[in-house]
Amino acid sequence: MAWRNLGRNRTRTVLAALGIVIGVISIASLGMAGAALQQQATSDLGSIGGDVTVASGADSASDGVTRAQVETLRDIVSDAEVVPQKSNSTTLTARNGEEARMSVTGVTNAAALYNLTNGDAPNRLASGALISNGTAETLDLELGDPVEYDGQIYRISGFLEESGGFGGGGGQLVLPISALSEQDGYDTVTVVAGNSDAATALADVIDSQFNEEDDEELRVSTFGSLDSLETFLNTLNYALLAIGAISLVVASVAILNVMLMSTVERRGEIGVLRAVGIRRGEVLRMILTEAALMGAVGGLIGALGSLLVGLVMFQLLTGDAMAVFNWSSSQYLLFGFAFAVVASVLSGVYPAWKAANDRPVDALRS
Amino acid sequence: MSVIELEDVIKRYQSGVETVEALKGVDFSADRGEMVTVIGPSGSGKSTMLNMIGLLDTPTEGHVHLDARDVTDFSEDELTEERRTGIGFVFQDFHLLPMLTAVENVELPSMWNTSVDRHDRAVELLRRVGLGDRLDHTPDQLSGGQQQRVAVARSLINEPDILLADEPTGNLDQDTGQTILEELTRLKEDENVAIVAVTHDDQMLDYTDTTVRIVDGVIQEVAQP
Ligand SMILES: Nc1ncnc2c1ncn2[C@@H]1O[C@H](COP(=O)(O)OP(=O)(O)O)[C@@H](O)[C@H]1O
Ligand SMILES: [Mg+2]
Repeated sequence: MAWRNLGRNRTRTVLAALGIVIGVISIASLGMAGAALQQQATSDLGSIGGDVTVASGADSASDGVTRAQVETLRDIVSDAEVVPQKSNSTTLTARNGEEARMSVTGVTNAAALYNLTNGDAPNRLASGALISNGTAETLDLELGDPVEYDGQIYRISGFLEESGGFGGGGGQLVLPISALSEQDGYDTVTVVAGNSDAATALADVIDSQFNEEDDEELRVSTFGSLDSLETFLNTLNYALLAIGAISLVVASVAILNVMLMSTVERRGEIGVLRAVGIRRGEVLRMILTEAALMGAVGGLIGALGSLLVGLVMFQLLTGDAMAVFNWSSSQYLLFGFAFAVVASVLSGVYPAWKAANDRPVDALRS
Repeated sequence: MSVIELEDVIKRYQSGVETVEALKGVDFSADRGEMVTVIGPSGSGKSTMLNMIGLLDTPTEGHVHLDARDVTDFSEDELTEERRTGIGFVFQDFHLLPMLTAVENVELPSMWNTSVDRHDRAVELLRRVGLGDRLDHTPDQLSGGQQQRVAVARSLINEPDILLADEPTGNLDQDTGQTILEELTRLKEDENVAIVAVTHDDQMLDYTDTTVRIVDGVIQEVAQP
């Protein structure tokens, strides 16, 4: 019955359902866009977000972080990994004449800092070299090939995973710390805390241990900005959802309009139903069923459309289209569908109530 | 015994500041198996009276008795229930639902009542009004006379005691009107219902048991030929 009533004015029904479809697509797509951005950003930041970086402070008398300070750091942070590094930069020349300028990091415990795409990151880097895989490609280097730094030859024992968005474009060469031994102290010391909360806590401890109000021995920094980035992403997410919600409100108004028009148009018919003994509650249910059906169909089509949009979006933003099925993003498909049904039924309530309570005599006279 | 009775019914309509007294103290009754025809000039209160009998509207003063029960103060939901079980309606312009087939239109008054299946009775009623071969036609595939016969079948689906018809032949040509009247007369006897029909159609008087003339909200004469 409800189906056929909807079928009667097809164009109108289709237009209203289209409103719902667009509403659902916008709320679900915007929600998924937020989820994709968040996933992308946190995966970029994930590895460095939990690090504390310690460097020589403005008021330090020594050049770099001293060995003594590193020992003290190890004592303070107990189980967190403390990784001293020295850094420099160099230009490598390939056999084919290609040149690449890159930063050089001397480190012993390479495993604590780097992810490798190929080869092993030793926790005691003694003789080999690690190089960014992008740079390796440019220079046509393979595992076991030699690179020269400061007159010494190192053989490549692994490729570094390119650190996406942040960390910047330049290549990196990681060498044993002995390669950069001309300076005494370390340029930076990385304390691997694991996550950004722990990093912030450790940074506070280190800061209070070494520094006074007017005497900065060590400069302690974290990617605490990650927190504010997360907050920003959340806000962005809400803003996107709010825009989606507005479009659903617009869709609801469209349904309200369609349901009102169709009940006004069918006033006489509904009067007949009431005259022949159909109860008010039954008329009410019939019209609400029509609204719910419209919402369900529109919501379903909208959810399917959003899924397509989501697949494309995740492919572009995270390079993994299937990630759209993760609950963090696929939940928006469900929300969108549920919202469509609920909004449709709610917009049907007033017209249905009005039609059901119209006195049959009045309805029949018109 | 009368199946329906109006007792000194007054109906006033308030339109703006003006009050129209459409019925000015009407007494009326009809029995099972009786066909009563209500005639009178336009605006004399015929439809208003039929609405009182059909429990579609309630009197301003006076009483309505259905099967010897006073239903004057029934709630809207109680009146709906009485209409469903006891009263059938045939309207001047048929009022069939356009998206339903003939047989579905006939079943309509019982459609929400899942406890009884009226399908067989609907088919049977359509056969009796001569539409056995039009069961699955929609109203736009039927002529006016056929539509009105579907409406007559619909009015009888719940085995009512009273069948009310407001100008049932008003939108039909002479011959078609006549077949509808013959149909009603036959059904009146088969189903033992009271038929109250409003008409302008003189040929209807040939089929009626009692004629009631109403003028200006007052019953002028009751004739039993
Ligand atoms: N709902 C209403 N509101 C106001 N006046 C009405 C209403 N229904 C009927 N009337 C008035 O009551 C009188 C009787 O109307 P009606 O019963 O329809 O007459 P008939 O059916 O005999 O032509 C008319 O004057 C009409 O204008
Ligand atoms: Mg009338």
